[in-house]
Amino acid sequence: MTPERMAELVARWVRFYTRDLPTPIAQRRIDEIDADLHDHIAHERANRAGDRRIALGIASRMVRGLGADASWRGRHAKAAADPPTREETMKISKTVYRSALRVALGVALFLSLPFVGMLISDDVVWSLADFVAAGVLLTVIGVVLELALRRAGNLPTAFGIAALGVAAASFGEADDAPGLVLLGILLVVSGGALGVRTAQHSR
Amino acid sequence: MPRRKAGALLPLENEILGVALTMLRSGHATFHGFGLAQTMRERTGSRSLTAHGTLYKALGRLEEFGLLTSRWEDAAAAEGRPRRRLYTLTAEGARVAEGTLAHKAVAPLSRVASRPA
Repeated sequence: MTPERMAELVARWVRFYTRDLPTPIAQRRIDEIDADLHDHIAHERANRAGDRRIALGIASRMVRGLGADASWRGRHAKAAADPPTREETMKISKTVYRSALRVALGVALFLSLPFVGMLISDDVVWSLADFVAAGVLLTVIGVVLELALRRAGNLPTAFGIAALGVAAASFGEADDAPGLVLLGILLVVSGGALGVRTAQHSR
Repeated sequence: MPRRKAGALLPLENEILGVALTMLRSGHATFHGFGLAQTMRERTGSRSLTAHGTLYKALGRLEEFGLLTSRWEDAAAAEGRPRRRLYTLTAEGARVAEGTLAHKAVAPLSRVASRPA
């Protein structure tokens, strides 16, 4: 076997034991061993060593280092699996907080419409239960829209939400409180948005 | 492989620091993996070079301990070959290496001095 073939074998081994590790750590090890192998072959050839001897020397270095390679991988894999840092946790919390705030403001805005309607007109009559039911449905719609904005959901969920919206629109009547037709339409739109987002991500 | 005590250096790590200090004193502020393995082979008179896994694991740990720092070689300096990772002994690394060398120099004398006359 030529030294280059043996170096290729070592490089494959390095790529194998660095798989799934954080890219900077894995790439540094890969590049460093590549440089070492190149220098090793160049140095031995400059000293007129035979190809067979160089290849054996490279193989020997790989085999004798297998235990250290496994130990090194284990330590870095464990470190990579550690829980998120304080900064990462704060970033996630901030994102969730902002999403929740947007949904809450949206729900409050929608619910303020029938509330104001009740104040200025006798035609709008919502009970507390109507407000609660509408609040729950609007929250579901808001969360679905946030999910559609941030990440792909899954298609069954999107279809389920859309089907719920179709059912609400079908069974509701125009003068329903809390307006099942309108909420149904919003659910259909939300389910559609999530479905489109999911389809885009799955491409 | 000997089990590591907290904060203790393995013989290979001490050897790396010793070589790095010698190179620093001879005007070579930086060294790279293969160069280090080759220098250690010459110093010990060994037939084989230190294994890849053992060598780079030790270098990584010395860097974590703050005894070495490292950076990638400039692409221009590499002249077409793969870029080397260049290591430098830190001030703390030099202090530890000097301490180890002094201890090695004193230890045989102590053994001789403690022998009964």
